[in-house]
Amino acid sequence: MSTALLVSDLSVAVENKQILDGFSLEVPFGEIHAIMGPNGSGKSTFCHVLTGKSGYQVRGSASLAGDDLLSLDVDERARLGLLQSFQYPTQVAGVRLREFMMEAAEEMGLDADEAATRIEAESERFGMRPFLERSVNGDLSGGEKKRSEIFQMAVLRPKVALLDEVDSGLDIDAVKQVSEAVEEMRSPELGVVMITHYSRILRYLSPDRIHVMIDGRIVDRGGSELAEELESGGYKGLRKRLGIEKVVDDGPMRKPADFFTETPFDV
Amino acid sequence: MTAFNAADHANSKSNVPSWRASQMDSALEIFETLDEPTGFEEDWRYVDYDLPFAELAQIEDPGEPLSDGPFLASLTNNSGRVLIVDGQVLEVGSSSASISTLRDLESDEREFSVVAVDHNKLAAAHGAFANDAVFVDVVPNQVMDAPLVIEVQGVTPGTASFPHISVAVGENAEAQVLVVYRSADGAELLMVPEIDLQVVDGGRLRFMSVQSLDHAATNVVHQRMTLGRDATGRLGEVGLGAKLGRLDLGVSLEGDGASSELVGLYFGEGSQTLDYRILINHSGRNTSSDVFLKGAVEDDAQSVFTGLLRIEKDARRTSTFETNRNLVLSENGKAHSVPNLEILCDDVICGHASSVGPLQDDDLYYLQSRGLSRERAERLLIKGFFQEVIDRLPITGLEAPVSEAVFRRFVQAQSEGRVA
Repeated sequence: MSTALLVSDLSVAVENKQILDGFSLEVPFGEIHAIMGPNGSGKSTFCHVLTGKSGYQVRGSASLAGDDLLSLDVDERARLGLLQSFQYPTQVAGVRLREFMMEAAEEMGLDADEAATRIEAESERFGMRPFLERSVNGDLSGGEKKRSEIFQMAVLRPKVALLDEVDSGLDIDAVKQVSEAVEEMRSPELGVVMITHYSRILRYLSPDRIHVMIDGRIVDRGGSELAEELESGGYKGLRKRLGIEKVVDDGPMRKPADFFTETPFDV
Repeated sequence: MTAFNAADHANSKSNVPSWRASQMDSALEIFETLDEPTGFEEDWRYVDYDLPFAELAQIEDPGEPLSDGPFLASLTNNSGRVLIVDGQVLEVGSSSASISTLRDLESDEREFSVVAVDHNKLAAAHGAFANDAVFVDVVPNQVMDAPLVIEVQGVTPGTASFPHISVAVGENAEAQVLVVYRSADGAELLMVPEIDLQVVDGGRLRFMSVQSLDHAATNVVHQRMTLGRDATGRLGEVGLGAKLGRLDLGVSLEGDGASSELVGLYFGEGSQTLDYRILINHSGRNTSSDVFLKGAVEDDAQSVFTGLLRIEKDARRTSTFETNRNLVLSENGKAHSVPNLEILCDDVICGHASSVGPLQDDDLYYLQSRGLSRERAERLLIKGFFQEVIDRLPITGLEAPVSEAVFRRFVQAQSEGRVA
């Protein structure tokens, strides 16, 4: 099966602080891969770097179905077929969801009739119909925002879907619904990368492969047994098995004067 | 040329009722003692005013009316039309309100000036030289189901004109009035309109103005609305034109239970100054008001919003809020936003929100991440920004031309690389 997403030796720093360090990943079309890792391990950074957010120093390579991603602008990557479901979707005042999707679909090369038909069908399926004439993500609950992200994917049909914590902030029914939607999207034309720090969502969908990310690198890869190990022993147990020391980053040495400009207590 | 001085004052009075002539005489005395704004006055501090009356002529005969503009074409329904050219009322017709001009009111003395004559030199000029007016009376319980359209045009270059519109909404009556300001292409002129809106107990008024003057014109509007018990006033203000466009707007919620809403949008380009000076005064009890203004500036344009919410000592259970959002789309564009509260009563709910800045990077990133080009994302954000106001305009039927006007302005600037 051909490769949807190929990431090789990706290293990312923000203001000279290393976030990702030699990160590699291959996701074939038709598969769902999960990246699991504790808070702060660099999962969201990985998504934003692939999507093309500015402000990162990036080395290494990433390609979608063989086309280089990293040299492209955000919108060019999306038009190539990369779509991220955001952990915290932005509220865009005054821009209506339907209009937004019509414009995006046009950019993706869909004709207006087909776009309108998809919007109708997918909004019905994901219960988004009441939100079509409202501002994008305006006054939506956490679960509704995630549903909106999945709805947008269903309309735009990417080749690679990056789902950044699509399960966070959702109640159990919503997690189920989103998982089912992701399973339904599974197709030979799509590769899915799902980022999560809970194994909860993995009860409802079965990834083909699980990658565990700690401190900016993949430390282990495997099948569902890896999720079970994390469920019982947590990341602490995994660190122990793999012999990874917890890195305590004190940051650069600070001058005494620095302490007077910040909150003195680390809470 | 008929000048703005005592010698030529008689000209302007030749055709007005005697009660108005004596008002004009006393206003002239004040006019002569005042100077044009210099920019040092607190309420003119951001404004560069440079149009002395010494260089302007009085209107002798009104010029030719302009051909139809874009805003009224889409309005399918109206309940009457009034045409004011160079301050003179040329046409009057209404199916649902009684309309008089100054000349119809020979023995019916009215209060005329909506602000104190010594408010500033321009208000004094209006008091001294305004020699025509329309008085719209909506009788108690009358319902206007379509707007009365009042076209206010300035066409003769080098002149100052003083359009005067007074709307009185009777008890439990419901009125809709739309004013469209326009001027002749390239005509340097001054327009100093006064708009007097009186809504008595239980009355409801929807009033909207579209200021779409040519960029050579200067427009300084003094507008006041007074609301009686349980009266409602909804105002919509669209500001697109003029070299200097100033709206000095006061709303007085005098009756218990009165409520007002002011929504507006402005978009400055070139070297325009769009200046909003707003005072919402609550003196009745249980009154509520909301101010919602959004604007953008590009090129070297600047905008000013100063909005004071004032709650008097006995105005218990007042609820009031003001919001002013500004987009600055070029390096040299400037937006000043100064919301103020003056609260003399302790049983109130009141607040304000204000912002000035460029399009948000996060918004652009989100839209681009769905495949929209940067340019398309910007256009969609501009449209969305103003859509929140357009959705709330008090008179329906003008959404499309207003939306198109702001959108076209941005798209053109974008295609010429004038916005960041």
